[in-house]
Formats: sequence, structure tokens, C-alpha cells
Amino acid sequence: MRDYLGVVWAIVVKDATVEWRTKTAFMSAVVFAILVLSILYFARDPTAVSSMDIAPGALWVTFTFAAMVGLNRAFLLERENQAIDGMLLTPVPRTAIFVGKMTGNLLFVGFVELISVPLFVLFYNVSLAGRLPQLLAVTAMATLAFVAVGTLLSAMAVRTRFAELMLPILLLPFLIPPVVGAVQLTSRILAARPASELMGWFKLLAAFDIVFCVLAILLYEATLDE
Amino acid sequence: MTDPLLVTEAVTRRYGYRRVFADVTFSLRRGEVLALLGPNGAGKTTLLRVLAGLLRPSGGSVTRNGTVGLVAHNSMAYDALTARENLAFAAKLWGIVDPERVEELLDRLGLVRWQDQRVATFSRGMTQRLAIARALIHQPDILLLDEPFHSLDDPGVADVVRLLGELVSEGRGRGRGRAIVLVTHQLERLVQLATSVGYLVHGTLVGPEPMDDRSVETIAARYRGLLNRA
Repeated sequence: MRDYLGVVWAIVVKDATVEWRTKTAFMSAVVFAILVLSILYFARDPTAVSSMDIAPGALWVTFTFAAMVGLNRAFLLERENQAIDGMLLTPVPRTAIFVGKMTGNLLFVGFVELISVPLFVLFYNVSLAGRLPQLLAVTAMATLAFVAVGTLLSAMAVRTRFAELMLPILLLPFLIPPVVGAVQLTSRILAARPASELMGWFKLLAAFDIVFCVLAILLYEATLDE
Repeated sequence: MTDPLLVTEAVTRRYGYRRVFADVTFSLRRGEVLALLGPNGAGKTTLLRVLAGLLRPSGGSVTRNGTVGLVAHNSMAYDALTARENLAFAAKLWGIVDPERVEELLDRLGLVRWQDQRVATFSRGMTQRLAIARALIHQPDILLLDEPFHSLDDPGVADVVRLLGELVSEGRGRGRGRAIVLVTHQLERLVQLATSVGYLVHGTLVGPEPMDDRSVETIAARYRGLLNRA
């Protein structure tokens, strides 16, 4: 188990180092997040639609598409110089490679979300006082679901000729359930609805997390066959 | 005589309906170097990937009685990492805890001066040296080399030939040593290193034939004859 976690950690550190030095995906994702949040804010008619009505949707559109930039990059990095072969030749469990890549993606998306939230609060005049723990829980659960399935599909899409186009096409249908759940929860939390109204959606997100993580880990090895 | 490290039995590989090669059968023991010759597109790289376990054979079987190191066309290195970081990452995946191993390979492959430079700044020859170092990090029993002299300058080629010679003979008398499959078009290097030669032509492996005559002309004549065969 210690060796397994050591491999996972080595992959996470390697991915983070590469991203820190190149900053390609991170900068693209952050710029994209700022653009989406500001465009959606200025596109609305403030006399007809309150910022709170579109805030949850704007937040999750931003998170989802900004995350896709990072997910696309995750396995493209391994295809450069066929670095993935170097990993596959080693005796490390294939699931450790997947969990390492997924953890790296979770960190990446987490950082993009961390930068996006203050902008979201600023643009949409949202008060997070007393709601932060619940919003953090929603964000963590929804992010885990779409990063798990996104990492798997990224590993598949990278083998296709138009990998960067293929990933959104493959991924978006899978994102609908967790993102709908996240939007529903976010709007209820921001409207200070009682906890009883949230539980059903939380359970749904938890179910997606379990199903997506387990399936992604089980199916990853199949994506490695040529 | 020791048991073979690498055994292939009737290995066939297809891509869809296209057969790349069929019925490839040979075995390789410690201290043996099999050189593979074949024209472009003959399937040499595919065969090495099958031998390494990166591709499944469409038919037949490959038995590896040891760890495998592969030097492929691509370096398998991360451009944003330094030479040292690339080797340290590979060492971590192989479970190598001795930090001296990375130092030793940087020294042996002449990369010490560039060890802290990112691979993106490397010349093709330096990248090739790093690829070889990476393949050797875990001291593999079986070494698969796809054009290892590609892009190397003359001193680089001499270094790698010397290194491969050492790897084959290291501990040979004590039942260690390595088995090497070498794909190269450089016949001068081939005759220096190989103990047998196989010709992958028309989707079939002819040989392996023992290197009784270590003459470039003899190997070239045999190869030409097989290529021209209907």
C-alpha cells in the first residue's frame, strides 16, 4: 500500500512540476474562467434577471469548461515522447497510474476553482458567510465525479487524431448528471434553503462519485490496449 | 547453459486485417545479442513493442523471464523535467531506492554536465543518451534497443557501443549478463555487438542466424539476397 501511494504521489508531483514550469493548461483555464464569469455577468439584463438567478449556472459552467482544459492536457503530456510507455513498462499497478493522474487533475481543477470563487463572489455579489462548508462539499463532490470520468475519457481521447475535440464530445454527456446536481445544490445553498431540501441531491452526487470512480478505475486498463 | 530470458513462439501481429509479421520464433539467453535487420515498415518496431509487452501479440506467445528495458524511437522523457528528474521519476516507478543509481547513469552516459537542464533544451543526441539511461535504470535483464545509435555523434556511438558490450558481458560468468535485441541499420555496429542476426523481411523472421562471419559485406549480401527474394 505504501509503494502504491508512493507511485501515486510520484505521478502527482511529476504532473504538478511539469504544469508549474509550463503553466500552459493552468493559465488557459484561469483566463477561460475569468472570461466566462464576466461574459455571463455582463450578458444578463439586470432589470429583468437578478445575479443570484444565474449565479449557480455561471459558476458550474465556468468550473466544468475550465476543468476540461486541464483534463485535455493530462494525457497529452504522456503522449509527448510516448512517456506513457515508460510508465507501462514498469511493474506499477495500472490503477496507480490512473489514480495518480486523477489526483493531479483534482489538484489542477481545485486550484482553478480556488481562483474562480473570489471572482464569482465579486461579480455576482454572493455572500458565502455560513454557506462555505456546504458549498465546499458540493464543489468537492461534483469535481470528483467529473474529474474521475474526465480522466478516463482523456486517456481514451488522447489516442484519437483530434483528441482535444474528442474529449468534450465524449465527456459532456457524462457531466450532465453531476453538474445538474451541483447547480441544484448551489442554488438552494445560496438561497439558504433548509438542509432537508439538500439531502436528496447530496445523495445523488455521492452515488455519482462512487459509480464514476469505481468504473473509471476498473475501465482504465482497457484504454491502454492498442 | 542458462534458461532463455526471452522466448517467442509463433508470434504474429496484425493491425486490423493487415498482418505485420507472422510466426516469429526465437529464444535469447544471457550474454546473447540478437540483431534485427529489416527494411522500413517491416515491423521491427512493432516486434520490439510486442517483446516489451506494450503490444499484445495477435497470435503466439512471448515469455519474459526477467525485467525489460526499452530504448524506442521516442525518448519517453518529459520535456519540462531535467535529465536528473526524469531518471529519478523512472527510478521511483521501478522502486529503486538507491540515489546513487541516477548519479551512476548520468555519469555513464555522459550527461553530468546537463543533468539539471530541461530535456526540452537537449539536442537529439543528448535525448538519446537520456533514453538509454532511462532504459537501464532498473538494470534490466532484457534490453530492447530500437536504433540506439540514432542521432549520436561519433564519440556518442563509441560510448554506447562500449556500454552495450559491458552490459552484455557484465557478470556473464556468474550467470548474469543481459540479453539484448538490437534493431539497427548500422552494420558496422551490428557486427561489433551481435551474436546472431535475424532478418525481418516480407513479414517473416529469417533466422536468427549465428554470426559465424563477422563481416559487414557478408551480412549486407545476405540481407540484399533476402530482400530481392520474391
